[in-house]
Amino acid sequence: MAAEQKKTLPDIFVEGAKKGWNVGISSIIPNVLMAFVLIHALRLSGLLDMLGVVFNPVMGLFGLPGQAVMVLVGAWMSMGGGVGVAASLYAAKILNPTHVTILLPAIFLMGAQIQYMGRLLGTAGIQGRYYPMLFGISILNAIISMIIMRIFA
Amino acid sequence: MSEEKKESCETQSVKVPWTGYIALAFAVVFFSGLLASQKGWITAFDFNALAGKFGVMKDAAKATFQGQGGFGARDGFMFGFGLLPSVMLALGMVEIVDHLGGLKAAEKLLTPILRPLLGIPGIAGLAMVTSFQSTDAGAGMTRMLRETGCITENEKTVFCAFQFSAGGTVTNYLASGAALFSFVTVPIVLPLVLIFVLKIFGANLVRLYLNRFEKESV
Repeated sequence: MAAEQKKTLPDIFVEGAKKGWNVGISSIIPNVLMAFVLIHALRLSGLLDMLGVVFNPVMGLFGLPGQAVMVLVGAWMSMGGGVGVAASLYAAKILNPTHVTILLPAIFLMGAQIQYMGRLLGTAGIQGRYYPMLFGISILNAIISMIIMRIFA
Repeated sequence: MSEEKKESCETQSVKVPWTGYIALAFAVVFFSGLLASQKGWITAFDFNALAGKFGVMKDAAKATFQGQGGFGARDGFMFGFGLLPSVMLALGMVEIVDHLGGLKAAEKLLTPILRPLLGIPGIAGLAMVTSFQSTDAGAGMTRMLRETGCITENEKTVFCAFQFSAGGTVTNYLASGAALFSFVTVPIVLPLVLIFVLKIFGANLVRLYLNRFEKESV
């Protein structure tokens, strides 16, 4: 306890910064790398253009190009993945700053649901019959956020 | 110990799922470099193509260490690595705010408004504040609240609906979201506020549904 009280603010900051380093190395970099590779593979294979055409009508409702659907798919698997896909599509000049702004809250609102199904719903012991409703609401939240962000962006 | 080893030596007939052979064939092609000289969609299955390229200093005045025009795994790594300074700064500051009692203050302020806001008792305030930082810790605390009878089954479901959309909100937004902040055209607090509003909105849809169709016998 005495040692606890002696910690100075810089010490505390460094502790938090270490947590940031660990999150970065164990989660952000692997997820972002996965997203960049995925997008690159989709581009090389021509699937990205195809997705762009197929999803253009739907994503167009939110003022986004069709390829932006990959940001949402990536986010659904992991938030870092969604962010990585968005950054990679931005680097490829498929998304512009306005598109990224529209997508930003949605990446989190429907983010990492595949993981959180076990880590949150499983841990807390939510009854299985509620899962579809909870998934649906998160996706609804993401859709509403894109409609609202379109006004601000 | 030695017997165990013996046993593992004797049971040599391994069952291979059919996917194993396909995966192996894929790996051979993927790493062989045979596709490197090809053009078009097939290069998506070449190791070197996916490893990509580091960016270069095309425009030295504007390029960061990530360079410009990179792609694939190499560009993704540099981009991800470039995020670490802001993540470390953000989590360092959060740690200080927590140390000085900032999170306790948030908990205290939240407690009286949880009932009107989400229909859950104020005692869930700590679990809620925790869930903004860590999805896993929030989930664990929510389970404890239910097990100790502090919240009902319906309240737990509503609370989890709140946590499920944008879980670990603050940490994830500051850590992962930081990658996009430099391109965003609005103040970065605006998307965060919208996230919180929609979290509350979504949880209330669940609250309405449960109140209407699954009333708990008190």
